[in-house]
Amino acid sequence: MAKAFGIINSSANHINIEGMQKYRPIGAFPFTGKYRVIDFPLSNMSNSDIDRILVYVRENPRSLTEHIRTAGNYNINSKRGHIQVLFAESNSASDIYNTDISVFMENLSIIERLSFPYVVIAPNYMVFTQDFDALLQQHVESGADITLLYHRTNEAKERFLLSDYLKLNRQKGVEGIERNRGTAKERDIFMDTYVMSRQLFIDLVHKAVDYSSICNLCQIVAMSCRDLDIRGVAHRGYFAALTDFKSYFDANLELLDPAVQCQLFSPQWPIYTDTSDFCPTHYFAGASAKNSIIANGCVIRGNVENSIIGRGVVIDEGVTIKNSLIQAHAHIGKGIHLEYQVIDKWAEVLHVDEIIGSPDNPGYVKREDII
Amino acid sequence: MQNNMLAMILAGGRGSRLKDLTTRVAKPAVHYGGKYRIIDFPLSNCANSGIDVVGVLTQYESVLLNSYVAAGRRWGLDSRDSGVYVLPPREKADADLDVYRGTADAISQNIDFIDTYDPEYLLILSGDHIYKMDYSEMLNFHKQRNADATIAVIPVPIEEASRFGIMNADAEGMILEFEEKPEKPKSNLASMGIYIFNWKLLRKMLIEDMVNPDSSHDFGKDIIPTMLANDKRLFAYKFQGYWKDVGTIDSLWEANMDLLDEGNALNLRDGSWTIYTEDIGALPQYLGPNAEIDRAYITEACKIDGLVRNSVLFSGAEVATGAKVIDSVLMPNVKVEEGAVVTRALVASDVIVEAGTTVGSAKSTNITLVAADVKEEE
Repeated sequence: MAKAFGIINSSANHINIEGMQKYRPIGAFPFTGKYRVIDFPLSNMSNSDIDRILVYVRENPRSLTEHIRTAGNYNINSKRGHIQVLFAESNSASDIYNTDISVFMENLSIIERLSFPYVVIAPNYMVFTQDFDALLQQHVESGADITLLYHRTNEAKERFLLSDYLKLNRQKGVEGIERNRGTAKERDIFMDTYVMSRQLFIDLVHKAVDYSSICNLCQIVAMSCRDLDIRGVAHRGYFAALTDFKSYFDANLELLDPAVQCQLFSPQWPIYTDTSDFCPTHYFAGASAKNSIIANGCVIRGNVENSIIGRGVVIDEGVTIKNSLIQAHAHIGKGIHLEYQVIDKWAEVLHVDEIIGSPDNPGYVKREDII
Repeated sequence: MQNNMLAMILAGGRGSRLKDLTTRVAKPAVHYGGKYRIIDFPLSNCANSGIDVVGVLTQYESVLLNSYVAAGRRWGLDSRDSGVYVLPPREKADADLDVYRGTADAISQNIDFIDTYDPEYLLILSGDHIYKMDYSEMLNFHKQRNADATIAVIPVPIEEASRFGIMNADAEGMILEFEEKPEKPKSNLASMGIYIFNWKLLRKMLIEDMVNPDSSHDFGKDIIPTMLANDKRLFAYKFQGYWKDVGTIDSLWEANMDLLDEGNALNLRDGSWTIYTEDIGALPQYLGPNAEIDRAYITEACKIDGLVRNSVLFSGAEVATGAKVIDSVLMPNVKVEEGAVVTRALVASDVIVEAGTTVGSAKSTNITLVAADVKEEE
């Protein structure tokens, strides 16, 4: 059986989730109440027997490194396995130089010393489950140079507008990788997930550096479509690309549907995260909660509907929360009415009567703000 | 060791008054408070009190308990110098395999383990009690009094005092007399089964006790009375706060219900004294479109689409559409199916209350223990 090491790649610099990304990379964004986005790729790798993982963090490393802590949280053997964080170390004059290729180049000696013949690369800003070992074996059997994972959608006009799609021929050969401009309904959205040999990966890093100082991995692979045998493999199941504020908001609320929950969470494919040691959630008389996902450690005296509530949130008497994401440790004061809001961690909403957003334009309250 | 004190938790008891809950696990492994097991309390107290090394003495139905406590990382007791060590009875070169004959004997049989750490003080705890306590404060008290032994005590209603080991102490806390379950109690200070001993002295006494044919090898019945008879300095350390010995189904139910109270003294949400437990790695709780919640304590992996009133739900408990759970405790993975009604009951782990059935009654004097699946009568 072929063995691979893993790389969790950062979102490229054209992706920016307003507000929240100022504080942490998308990988450290809360998701479904108790998880962080990076828990999904890390658990996918751990469940696929990949226990040597490099995590590239492009910016604000604090919250992500704090969250990952030890590989033990992800069911990875503490002696045989290892999660290593790759920071963007060069103090480049401009953010455009801060690319995945530049970080891989800086850490190339580490990658060259690894004994694994293959690498699986997955993004830190997409949520899905995938057996990477099955994908790797499929890659090896096919004889392809590179295997790319994609998700077929018929909503490409409205969704995945900052993602790329694969131009596939009938044999699932990749003829090109292009930005989804919303011009067609059906697209095979590229999931930023690659399988290739370690040697080809190293060659591509060199090739990218020689080509341009701001070239990223996706671009060099796209440019290699003619020279290399690159094939697409379809992904099935839940898939979300978190590329702007609305896609992040929608992806969370989408999981309130039990049928969607089942697609992402299965007992056979556990998603690991760090433990908070919070006590259970306490509902007092007069509280109500409907169609919601609620993490532990909350104190709830108000009403919650169609919402996701993070760990340790306090919701006072007479509060109404609808269609909102309340992140960990936030406090919503007496009688306040919130709709279509993202309330970031440690924020306190105390001195307003209501904040009402809309499905197309959800609102945002910054981390640690008091309003 | 941070404070030169090693802790030993007595976790061998069956707790037979808990009936079916302890047919397969020892009482310290019984679930409590939605996500905990009772032994999480002494273990977390040790971790929070700066005690690094904890021995857990197991005996009755110890398979689950042994593997549970062996994962010391759950309580943060996994640094280089710390650990949780499982100590069931064992065969020795100079003695046949023998069960622990009493609480003191359990310690005596592990003198070699304790000696490897060479502690100055030994803390003896029970694995059966629910409370939060800073043992380092008790150790300070012990040192200040220059005591040979310190026993934690809690005031109990005088009419209940005859159920406990009662300490009669002077104004300084010096114990003058100890009476095990006295008919006419002279004080209301009950022993909590928490002792700090100077290890050298206790070690000597245990070696003598082991060969004493008249001894029942028990701290309360033998060691403490012998110390008092020998004029040793024994002190009572008064504990203020929530403390429960959940001996019966009713008291276990009640201790869970206490968590629903505003300002409940146990306060499991206090971040400065966290009670640690295993991480089951489940989804957060999900409340469906028909869920009705009124006074409840609910944890991860619960799925609710019915009514939950005045109840505590443990990990993975499910209440289906139209089902009602009132004044009850649902232990892990209990399923209450559509339209079923559970009232004033404690439902044991993994039990299925089938659709349309009813268990428990609002008028019952005692809490109904539901330990087997509830099926429609045919």
